Amino acid sequence: MAARDKIEVVINGVREVVPKDITIAGLIEIYNERDGGLIVEQNNRYVFPQRYGSTIVKQGDRIEFINPDFGG
Amino acid sequence: MKYTGQREISLSEEELRRYNRQIIMPLIGIEGQKRLKDACVFVAGLGGLGSISSMYLVAAGIGSLRIIDRDVVDTTNLNRQVIHWTDDMGKEKSVSALEKLKRLNPYCNIEAITGSIDDLESSAFIADASIIVDATDNLETRRVLNRVSLEKSIPFIYGGVDGFSGMVTTFVPHETPCFDCLFPFDIKKKGAIGVVGPTPGIIASIQVMEAIKLILGIEGTLKGRLLYFSGIDMLFREVKVEKNPECPVCSRYRAGL
Ligand SMILES: [Zn+2]
Repeated sequence: MAARDKIEVVINGVREVVPKDITIAGLIEIYNERDGGLIVEQNNRYVFPQRYGSTIVKQGDRIEFINPDFGG
Repeated sequence: MKYTGQREISLSEEELRRYNRQIIMPLIGIEGQKRLKDACVFVAGLGGLGSISSMYLVAAGIGSLRIIDRDVVDTTNLNRQVIHWTDDMGKEKSVSALEKLKRLNPYCNIEAITGSIDDLESSAFIADASIIVDATDNLETRRVLNRVSLEKSIPFIYGGVDGFSGMVTTFVPHETPCFDCLFPFDIKKKGAIGVVGPTPGIIASIQVMEAIKLILGIEGTLKGRLLYFSGIDMLFREVKVEKNPECPVCSRYRAGL
């Protein structure tokens, strides 16, 4: 079980313990996800980049960081 | 789509035979086949994605196909861009593709241009199409296609690949998010990316499936769903996407401007 100030989430399929009340922006920082050009999915929903700073990650959330594909 | 049933479309005996395996499906039938013949699809690019999408569209009996690419065939294209063959090297891709597509289905009316999509933004070559199938290889050109799509109310089927991965979704102006809703960021140019042939094969096949369903009015499309594929994990997953209320691109058209 995660400590009181921590929550458990699943990031790209892997169980992770992260600080409680962390935002998507905070997660991106921790996981150092790619310089720009990233799609973030929270429980199968697309998160708009302008909301990364205000979207709180909750216990049990499934987060996916997806690198978009632009080749043809 | 733009099929109104008003234009008289007929299918010859030879066409009825050629499309038999489509026509015998109740979902398609002769009416559906006529709809396909009445449609005009614009395929933007003739690389890995465009090789596959143009062939399946033409084989399915799309009445008019418009294709464009600015490049010539290079040796490094041949592992995946299967419409171009070894003896096409140095040939304009639009010419190389046109040759094959005409032989594949002489009943399809195909127009091919060598040039840049950016220069065609306001031309009838795209604007008259009933569907835009994305087969480009960069973000900027997709933004151009997105603007045309919104401006002219033409559905835009995005597809992109990278390595063993790919993604696809269908943008329908005013109904779904637009390309810029989903990808409001810039990315650093990566130079040449690696791709195995089956990746664009899979993604372009899905794009054509979407095009056919849109033309036939079959539900269950990728509207509002970004489907992504990982060939490494052999997994398809999807993300639900909504209109971005702060999208500077489609909000302009939403306001009716
Ligand atoms: Zn938009």
